[in-house]
Amino acid sequence: MRWKSFRSALTAAIWVALSLASLILNEWSLTQLAQYMAYGIFAMGLAFIWGQAGILSFGQAIFFGIGGYCMGLVTLRQLPLLGDSTLVGLILALVMPSIAAYVLGRLLFQGRGLAGAYFAIVTLCAAVIVETLAQQWSFIGGFNGLLGIPPFLAPWRTEADAYLTPTEIYLLMLAASLLVFLVLSYITWSPVGTVLAAIRDNDLRTAFFGYDIVRYKVGAFVLSALVSGLAGALFVKQFGFAAPSLIGFGLSTEVLIWVAVGGRNVLLAAFLGALLVRSVEGVLSDRLGDYWLLALGMLFVVTVVLMPTGLFGRILMPPLPKRLRGES
Amino acid sequence: MGFVVTIGLLDSLNFTLALLLVTLGLVVIYGLMNVINMAHGEFFLLGAYCVVLMRNAGLSFWWALLLAPVVLALVGLAVEELVIRHVYRRFIDSILGTWGISLALKQVVIIVFGPTAQSIVSPIPGPVQILGVTYPAYRLFIMGFTILLAGATFLFFYRTYIGLAIRGVIANRAMAASLGINTRLFDRSTFAIGAALAGLAGAVMAPIMSVDPQMGVGFLIPAFLSILVGGTGTLLGALVGTAAISATTTIVSDAWTQVAAQVVVFTMAIVVIRLFPQGITGRRT
Repeated sequence: MRWKSFRSALTAAIWVALSLASLILNEWSLTQLAQYMAYGIFAMGLAFIWGQAGILSFGQAIFFGIGGYCMGLVTLRQLPLLGDSTLVGLILALVMPSIAAYVLGRLLFQGRGLAGAYFAIVTLCAAVIVETLAQQWSFIGGFNGLLGIPPFLAPWRTEADAYLTPTEIYLLMLAASLLVFLVLSYITWSPVGTVLAAIRDNDLRTAFFGYDIVRYKVGAFVLSALVSGLAGALFVKQFGFAAPSLIGFGLSTEVLIWVAVGGRNVLLAAFLGALLVRSVEGVLSDRLGDYWLLALGMLFVVTVVLMPTGLFGRILMPPLPKRLRGES
Repeated sequence: MGFVVTIGLLDSLNFTLALLLVTLGLVVIYGLMNVINMAHGEFFLLGAYCVVLMRNAGLSFWWALLLAPVVLALVGLAVEELVIRHVYRRFIDSILGTWGISLALKQVVIIVFGPTAQSIVSPIPGPVQILGVTYPAYRLFIMGFTILLAGATFLFFYRTYIGLAIRGVIANRAMAASLGINTRLFDRSTFAIGAALAGLAGAVMAPIMSVDPQMGVGFLIPAFLSILVGGTGTLLGALVGTAAISATTTIVSDAWTQVAAQVVVFTMAIVVIRLFPQGITGRRT
C-alpha cells in the first residue's frame, strides 16, 4: 500500500517539478524542453496503443507528420479556404490523422485482422510509402518540405509582431502534455481501458466475451493517431518547418526507442523516455558524434532484453482502478 | 521488342535470385525460432563491406566471398548468444531487440567506413552475348552462383538428416525436442547459417550496387514482404514470394520509375498480406 501511494506521489511530483522548471531554467533550455515535450506527447500516443492495447505500430510517424503538415499548410495560407488561424490548423491536425487512422485501422483490423509481426511489417511499409509520396508531392514542398511556418502568435499583445515568449511556449506545451496525460490516463483507468488490456492479453477470449474487438482496436488506434497529430502540430509550430523526415520510417522507429527505453506500459514513463533520450542526445551527440547513435542502439537493446518495463515503468506504474483491486 | 523482354527477364531473374539468398536465411530463422530478425538487412550490409575491406587490403574480390560468410556466421553466433537467446518467448521484444542491433551495426559501419557510398569494381568486367542480347558478364555469374547456392540450400534442407531435423523443429518444436533433437543447438546454428547466407548475398551483390550504410533496409523490407506474401514456414513460399516481389519491382521500375516501383510493390504486398494472411502458397484455415 505504501509503495502504491509512493508511486502516485512520484507521478504528481514529476509534474510539479516540470512546472517549477519554468521558473528555474534559462530560456534556451526551456525552448529545448518545450520541443522535446512535443516528442513526449507523441510518445504517450504510442505508449497508449502499444502498452494498453498491445498494438505495435512501426508507422506512428505517419500521423505525427500529417498533423505537422496540416498545421503548416494552414498557417502558411496554402489552403486559402480555411484561412490562416492556428486554431483551424490545430483542428485540421487532429481531424486528418484521425481519419487516416480510421481508414488504415478498418483496413487492417477488420475481420480476421492483422496482428503481431504482420501488423508491424505492414505499418513499416506504410510509413515508407507515405514518406516517399511526401517527397514527391510538390504541393507540400517535396523533398524540402514546408519552410518558414510562423511560430505561435500572442494576439493579446499590442505590438505588430507579437509571438509567444519561450516561457509561454513552455507553459503551453506543459499544459498540452498534462492534458494528454490526464485524458489518456482516464481512458486507461476506465472500463474501456480494461477491455483494451483484455484484448492485449488475449484478443480471442475477449471477442468470445462479446466485445467487438475491431471497434475497440480501431478506436484506440484513432485516439493514438489524434494524439500524434496534436504532437506533430505543436512540433512544427516551434520548429518552423515540416519535412518528409517527420512523416516516415525514421521517426516512427525513433519514437519506439523512446517509449521502450522509458517504459511502454506507463504513459508518464514513455513521456519521460522521450524527454530523457532527446536531452541526452542534445548533450552527447555533439561530443560523441557518430558514437552517439551506436550507444543509443545498444542502450535500446539492453533495455529491451533486460528491462522490458523500461527505465521508469516500474516506479511510475499507476495503481489499478478500484473495481479491479482485490478485497484487501 | 524481344530484346527489351529478354533484358527485363534477365533483370527480374537476377534480382529474384539475389533477394532469394537474403530471404532464405530470414525464412529459416522466422520459421524455426519465430524471431523476426530486423538485423538481417545489416547482415547483408556487413557482407558487402567485407568486399570493401578486402579491396582496401589490396586482396582479390574472390577472397571476400570466402570471408563474408565466415565473418557473418560469427556475428550471427554472437548476436544469438547475447540477445536473441533472451527474448525467444517475448515475440515483440525480439523485433525490438534485433531492430536495436540493426541500428548499432549500421552505426559501426558508418564509424569504420564513413557514411559515403563506396563503389566496387566488377571482378568480371565486360559484357557477353546471351540469347541475342549483350549482358554484363558479372551479372550472369551472380545468377549462376545464386542458383547453385539456393540449390545447395534446398538440398541441405530436403535431402540431409540435419535438414530433416531442422524441418522437424520448425513443424513441432516440443515433439522434436522429446525425440532427442537438441533444439538449442539447431537454433544457434541456423541463426549463424542464416546470417552467413545474408552476408554472402551482400558480398556477391556488392559490385553491382552502390555500397552505402543505408543499403540494408532496402533489402530487409522486400525480403520480409516476400516471406509474408509467399507464406511463412515453407521454403517454397519464400521462392514464390521473392519471384512475385522482384518481378513486380523490376517491371514497374523499368516501365516507370524506381520510386513508383517501391510504392506499387509495397502497396501490392500490403493488399496481398491483408487478403491472404497465410501467404499465396499457404493453406486456408
